[in-house]
Amino acid sequence: MTEYSRAAKGRFTSTGGAQIVNLPFQPDFVRIMNYTTSNAAATSQNVVAAQWDANMGQGFAIQQGYNATPAIIWDTVIANGISTFAAGQLLQYGPTLAISGITKANPAVVTTTTNHGLTSGDVVVFQGLYQSTTTGMQQIQGVPFTVTVTGLTTFTIPWNTNQSNYTALSGSPSGATVKKVLYPYLYFPGTTVISAITTGSTTTIDTTDAHNFRVGQEVAFRIPSDWATTQLNSLPNPPTPGSPIYGYVIAVTDYNTVVVNIDSTAYTAFNSNVTFAGSAGRSLPQIVAVGDVNTGGQLISAGSALYPPPVFEPIGTTEVNTINGPAIRGAFVNNTSQGFIVGIGAGTNLTTSVLVGAAGNVIFWEAFLHDMSIP
Amino acid sequence: MSITTTGNLGPMILQSLAPAMLYVPTPSMNYITVCDKVSLPSNGGTTCRFMRPRALTPPTIQLGNSGIDPPAQIPQRDIIDAQMAFFGTGCIINEQVVLQDQEGVLAWVSERLAVAMRQAEDLILRDYIVSAASQINAGGGSNGFNPTNLGISDFSLVAATLDTNNAYKFMSGIEGMDRFGTGPVRSAYFMLSSTELQGDFDALVGSGFLSQWNYPTNASALPSEYGSVYNIRILTSSEAPVARNAATNSSGTLNDVYYNTVLGKQAITHIDQDGYSMRLIYRDPNYSGMLAQNATLAVKFAQAQALTQDTAIRNLLSTRLSNLGV
Repeated sequence: MTEYSRAAKGRFTSTGGAQIVNLPFQPDFVRIMNYTTSNAAATSQNVVAAQWDANMGQGFAIQQGYNATPAIIWDTVIANGISTFAAGQLLQYGPTLAISGITKANPAVVTTTTNHGLTSGDVVVFQGLYQSTTTGMQQIQGVPFTVTVTGLTTFTIPWNTNQSNYTALSGSPSGATVKKVLYPYLYFPGTTVISAITTGSTTTIDTTDAHNFRVGQEVAFRIPSDWATTQLNSLPNPPTPGSPIYGYVIAVTDYNTVVVNIDSTAYTAFNSNVTFAGSAGRSLPQIVAVGDVNTGGQLISAGSALYPPPVFEPIGTTEVNTINGPAIRGAFVNNTSQGFIVGIGAGTNLTTSVLVGAAGNVIFWEAFLHDMSIP
Repeated sequence: MSITTTGNLGPMILQSLAPAMLYVPTPSMNYITVCDKVSLPSNGGTTCRFMRPRALTPPTIQLGNSGIDPPAQIPQRDIIDAQMAFFGTGCIINEQVVLQDQEGVLAWVSERLAVAMRQAEDLILRDYIVSAASQINAGGGSNGFNPTNLGISDFSLVAATLDTNNAYKFMSGIEGMDRFGTGPVRSAYFMLSSTELQGDFDALVGSGFLSQWNYPTNASALPSEYGSVYNIRILTSSEAPVARNAATNSSGTLNDVYYNTVLGKQAITHIDQDGYSMRLIYRDPNYSGMLAQNATLAVKFAQAQALTQDTAIRNLLSTRLSNLGV
């Protein structure tokens, strides 16, 4: 070990999906051990250990696992292996994938022409959703959607396209594409697109991707007239000129649903059945973080509501810690990060193995950044 | 007769360092320029808290002669928190470099570190604005993309939006002068835009765009200011946020989507902590291993940011009309 090297170790329980490990550096060497498979009966396709060196290239790995005999063999993973990441800037995207179709349904089902490689909870954006020059689904171009993966080439998005102004996409329309938003939550809470509003004595807001709001979050609305429920907008405020109207989150139902304390009983119903023709230049309905009602009175200690540190909710109710220290909930948080990812790649020989292990597997890892690398 | 030439008597030293360093291309840092600045005190915790009182409803109903007071109002306030985060980078420099190099390596590395830090501040603010500020899609252009290129009506719309929200303008107007080719400039918000859109702005000359060099006086113009439209003065930078190839038209042609941030005073605030915004740290080699070989030179800073007036900022998204230079 030389003076400026970095070394870290830890463990995680696999979810079966790619695992992100946040570190204060990007390692050049990573080693993982699957404690669960190592401690179990030898089973074909089970991976027991793997390692990666930066010189192998991103997404590569060398693994050890059981073959059909079963005996441990060395194997390579050439895609979705181990890679490093630096989540420091927004507006970075994954590769562009062609779309073969999108159904008229709620939720809409998207089919790609090749394997999309997405994981449930990933965020994507679409563009070029023309079935013809005057029909299609251009209404949702540029909207960030959290996906739920349903197959190698299919996933759903939380949007109701089963409405009269949407035309199903089919036959792989030229220019219809989707791409993954690589780092959607570097700063939060922020601005989120609204997919549905349920009016009533309280108002339920569905969003297209994770809203990252907490109970007590103060929010504002920006709803252009095409989307109808303009009464939620912060301004104008006739009784008190100039004072914005804000709401407070009183319940977080899910990663993309919150309940706000605004009585919208008399408000116009939300309209997501906007026309195709007006898509160019139409602004999207948004819910925006403003502040919070936290008084700072909560103690910050292990086990308290403020510890562990702030989280975002990529999907479902699964919460993922950020690298930041404890913070007052509702505070605007910088969530930039770096580290490495253990992917779901299969081996060249162990063709149905999963590098990151099955859900529930306990994975120990070591990561290094060396002072000296020859060459 | 023999002539002594450099062929048989060349200079002992073949190279000489030019006296001045070459410049380092550095984008205009517009985001840090236009934000409010606040300093959190030392021992002030992790979070900077802002408080904004809400307006009280004006009493427009007469009291009458009943002698009964109207109901009291409950004063309300909005609280905005911003959590501090720390950033830093540095270089490890072997003493032999300092000993043997001729160009003052510690000086120029210090300068580079300081600029990198300032750029980081600006980029963090930029990305934060992209993430947190609400968006308006340009629709006033004619290029057929969603959003369209910037049309003159887009400037009018976003300025009217901020005016309706009672946002405070940054700049007072510039009165017209009796000079050919110039025109008065309105009191204005700032729009932080991309240098790649300057051709699009030029295309609006005659429709309402006034180039910065057509101002009656340039005394109040910022170095990165390109011009003004209506109540908006435009600052451009090559690091303005852009999503490449993020829009497709019906012909399948791709276009970039630009985040043109229009904002008034106090829309976004940058927070440092106890002067931690600029700390250059030099540790001489004595602090390294037993042979004291390596010096370190580093910068670190603490920063938080918050939208402190969410009604006074909009990201006006647009595509591009003009061709992109290379």
